[in-house]
Amino acid sequence: MTSAPRARQSIRRRLVLFLVTMLLLLVGAAAVITYFVAVRAANDAYDRSLLDPALDLQQNLRMVDGAPHLDLPPKAQEALMYDQADEVVFQIRAPDGTVIAGVSDLPAAAELTHGQHRFYDVDYREQNLRVAALLNAQNVLVQVGETRHKRNRLVGEILVAELVPTLLVAFVSIALAWAGIAHGLAPLARVRTELLGRSPHDLRPIPNDAAPVEIAPVVDAFNRLLSRLSEANALQQRFLANAAHQLRTPLAGLQMHLELQLRREQAPEVRAELERLHKATLRTGHMTKQLLALAKAESTSDAEAAVQPVDLYQCAEAAAQHWVPVAIARRIDLGFALEHATVQGDPSLLTELLDNLIDNALRYTPEGGAVTVQCGMRQSMPFVAVEDTGPGIPASERDRVFERFHRVAGTTSEGTGLGLAIVREIADRHGARVGIESPRNGQGTCVVVLFGAIAEAKHAG
Amino acid sequence: MNTDRLPMRIIVIEDDPLLAEGLVNVLNRAGHAVDHAATGARAEAALKSTEYDVVVLDLGLPDRDGLELLRELRARRSHASVLVLTARDAVEDRVRGLDLGANDYMTKPFSVAEFEARIRALLRRSAVPEAQLESGTLAMDLSAKRARVGGRPIELTSREWSMLELFLTRAGHVLSKDRISEHLLACDEHLSANAIEVHISRLRAKIEPEGARLRTVRGFGYLWDGAND
Repeated sequence: MTSAPRARQSIRRRLVLFLVTMLLLLVGAAAVITYFVAVRAANDAYDRSLLDPALDLQQNLRMVDGAPHLDLPPKAQEALMYDQADEVVFQIRAPDGTVIAGVSDLPAAAELTHGQHRFYDVDYREQNLRVAALLNAQNVLVQVGETRHKRNRLVGEILVAELVPTLLVAFVSIALAWAGIAHGLAPLARVRTELLGRSPHDLRPIPNDAAPVEIAPVVDAFNRLLSRLSEANALQQRFLANAAHQLRTPLAGLQMHLELQLRREQAPEVRAELERLHKATLRTGHMTKQLLALAKAESTSDAEAAVQPVDLYQCAEAAAQHWVPVAIARRIDLGFALEHATVQGDPSLLTELLDNLIDNALRYTPEGGAVTVQCGMRQSMPFVAVEDTGPGIPASERDRVFERFHRVAGTTSEGTGLGLAIVREIADRHGARVGIESPRNGQGTCVVVLFGAIAEAKHAG
Repeated sequence: MNTDRLPMRIIVIEDDPLLAEGLVNVLNRAGHAVDHAATGARAEAALKSTEYDVVVLDLGLPDRDGLELLRELRARRSHASVLVLTARDAVEDRVRGLDLGANDYMTKPFSVAEFEARIRALLRRSAVPEAQLESGTLAMDLSAKRARVGGRPIELTSREWSMLELFLTRAGHVLSKDRISEHLLACDEHLSANAIEVHISRLRAKIEPEGARLRTVRGFGYLWDGAND
């Protein structure tokens, strides 16, 4: 995730971004509509009171010698034009267009018929004015204009009253969407946890009952892949079993005939040749067994592995039956220091692990040496260890001996280079850690398998 | 190693000609009457017509599952001892084989010596219980309760006797001190590991001057393998 070359797309971010854009457009459109509605409402509310002073002025008009005359003292005019919020101006024009009272620079309203009034907006002295215009029967035009302060204030109030709740709803929707998407994606998170918690050998299908319709197809596709993998695994197992049979039976025949020939009288050079062939056959047989053991340790799925409590003591006891005669034949003192220690594991794999540890130690220990098998508890964790008095493994080689086909330089034993690789593979399967230590007396090698070491480290971290 | 017993009838059921020839050869030399069947069908016919003492059975036959033959054999209540040979070493196969009545089990490839040892063990099992136990230079006459090393009689206490009897009946097997203690418990009171060591050292003092060697498996127990070195 961290090394993604491009920022990864997030469904949640994409959805929320889409939602935010759409909501902003909607809120913007609502603001525009609300503005026009508010302006209209403000005009409706205040136009009536703007018409009143115009009507008052008209009533105070008198015709003197056929010419209109405003019969209102200046004080009364001022009172008429007084407003708390806005500046108010008026204008009276005679039928010939001459201004007879009020401000002179207000343009005349157009398209008015007798006895009619109308309201309009006009720019006047760099201000926007709302004007009420009246034309009486004598063609005298009375206009009263006022600035838009209180109208604007009302428009503002209406906008706030309308838009604040809208914005609140928008924000709450986004927040709910953010949380809701997380909730909706929870099944995906569950699938992820389920997959992350699996061992690479666990090929059982992912439970699909609780998955919502959107995720179910993905889980189904995944399960189909898992089942194909599982089939491929089973196929590999069958192939291995067949390969084992095909290889081991002729090897058994070869070994048997060579041993029978070695029992007969033979010329020395023929005997030497037969012995070389016999050794090579034994080695091939051992190699076949090791390759199969490694492949089996790798390909056994968790479902097939018979995990159960296994007493390492009993494993070592069973190993003693097989290995003590081998050690005696090689003149090596094979000893034991066993305590009871139970691990959860597959008994056949654990037996394979122990066999390889002992086999490896016996192969690299010279005649007259000693090999000691130990098991028990160490730092409250179960362990098995096999210690030998062989040449030892240099510190620089200690990591590499677990690699497949790696053999320590300078050793002449006929090992396959697979023994410790098998040990590590099986240890990994059991969450155990394999380490190489120097025995207390200095000479030789001690391979230790500590069970539960990885789980412990995880808890600590 | 020759067994001074009556010749036994043995059948080798194995399809690989090279291995089958070797097995037949080994068994013939030991003085047994040996038949060979390369297919399941032939094996079935032979098993129905002849009562064998030992059946050497390969599980991977070309025409039949060897375990199926084993099941049929046991269903007929045959008393033949069965040594299963297999190229697979899956524990489940082994358990199934033993469940179906196999007496022993060998994974290919194996040495001639090991094969001979297993056959000898099977023949011992199928024979009438013996009055005489022999291994290496040691001989125990169970009915007369007399033991001899290299032909010379030795005097044993009852604990030493039952220990030696255990070693000889389980020759070639590593016996833990626990196992020895369990065996002695059947006829005696419980013995500590230290007490067992004391008895073993007394037993050794009696048999080892005559060249019979009881091996110590360090930290574990003892092994009698009949060797004299």
